[in-house]
Amino acid sequence: MTLYDKIYKWLDERFKLRELLPPILKHPAPEYAVSNPLYCLGGTAFLCFLILVITGIFLAMYYKPTPEEAYKSVQNIMTAVPMGSLIRSLHHWAANTMIAAVMLHMIRVYFMGAYKKPRELNWVVGIFLLLTVTTFGFSGYLLPWDQLSFWATKIGTGIAGSIPIIGGYISLILMGGNDIGADTITRFFALHVLILPMAIAILLGMHFLMVRIQGISGRL
Amino acid sequence: MAIIEVEKKQAEEQQKEPVRVRGLPFFPHFLLREVVVMCLIAGSLLLLASLYPASLLKPADPFTTPTPIYPEWYFLYVFGFLKFWTYDIGPIPAKIIGVTVPMILWYGLLILVPFIDRNPSSDIRKRKIAVAIGIIVLLGLLFFTYYGIVHGE
Ligand code: HEM
Repeated sequence: MTLYDKIYKWLDERFKLRELLPPILKHPAPEYAVSNPLYCLGGTAFLCFLILVITGIFLAMYYKPTPEEAYKSVQNIMTAVPMGSLIRSLHHWAANTMIAAVMLHMIRVYFMGAYKKPRELNWVVGIFLLLTVTTFGFSGYLLPWDQLSFWATKIGTGIAGSIPIIGGYISLILMGGNDIGADTITRFFALHVLILPMAIAILLGMHFLMVRIQGISGRL
Repeated sequence: MAIIEVEKKQAEEQQKEPVRVRGLPFFPHFLLREVVVMCLIAGSLLLLASLYPASLLKPADPFTTPTPIYPEWYFLYVFGFLKFWTYDIGPIPAKIIGVTVPMILWYGLLILVPFIDRNPSSDIRKRKIAVAIGIIVLLGLLFFTYYGIVHGE
């Protein structure tokens, strides 16, 4: 009996691995999905998400969400922190690639008609994922607190504020005041590193569960 | 090379049973392939990140507006449409028709796609209308993105 067998047996006696694992491990991936690279787009988006989580955690160790410190802390990441520039640039590229991959994934689902019965609700979850992912981008854009991030956010919150009736409240909630300042940066930070990650984790869980239950849709 | 042969054998064996889907077992064949693809993508991202590092401009200054300002590329189409639409309709100002109405319509229609398109076929040749609408929408998005780039503030 090898060490591997011993460990397997030990776990099997406690967790019934023999019953639990085969349906997961032997579950067939259909040939048309394996041979067509268009089916890789969802997985590509997910890989980017994982890279974003890891690089994001490292960035959060050095980033300081205040108007006085934000820019300096990012500058510190770019120039002084070991590998800091690489980590931030990876975060930047993974974010843009993720959004591109999500959009292309959506286009493939649309043109293959993969949203039809029984997958209607997975498309709806997908639209919420799209909204979450673009909001991630919007909230992250402000954090470096450079000229571009400040003024792009100014335009963005201005557009949200121009919505009739509720616009004023939306921009108040977003900015935490009447102008972009200390309260805006902490709000965007909380959104970017706490609220949106939780939202996307729940949505992705639903998305993958539905793909698993319903299977991948057929050929074009 | 050995892996490819195993995969083929697997596929041929399953072909004899017409009831079952032809495919690769998730573990290890499918997962192995996935890991290879993931390494390629992660490698490309590393390459991009080292060749083109993320930028950091001058610190934010609320009193000097830089020109031009662009939003992120995936919001350019919204920005472009806002610049494009300069007509008030009755009492509703152009700014609202330029953003609020199209965004509600756009996301509302996107969510409803599976409920609007009741055609059960997923054969692209039998979905001429859906495909035509899809292409028009994509061209529209490209056009407004372009418009947003040219008319940056
Ligand atoms: C965070 C973003 C997303 C991730 C990580 C993701 C991931 C995935 C993955 C891995 C699959 C399996 C098949 C494939 O990869 O093509 C899938 C299927 C699917 N996705 Fe997404 N997705 C995302 C966003 C979206 C969006 C925006 C939509 C559409 C509005 C969408 C709609 C669907 C549908 C309908 C399926 C089932 C397709 C089929 O069975 O062929 N997803 N998704």
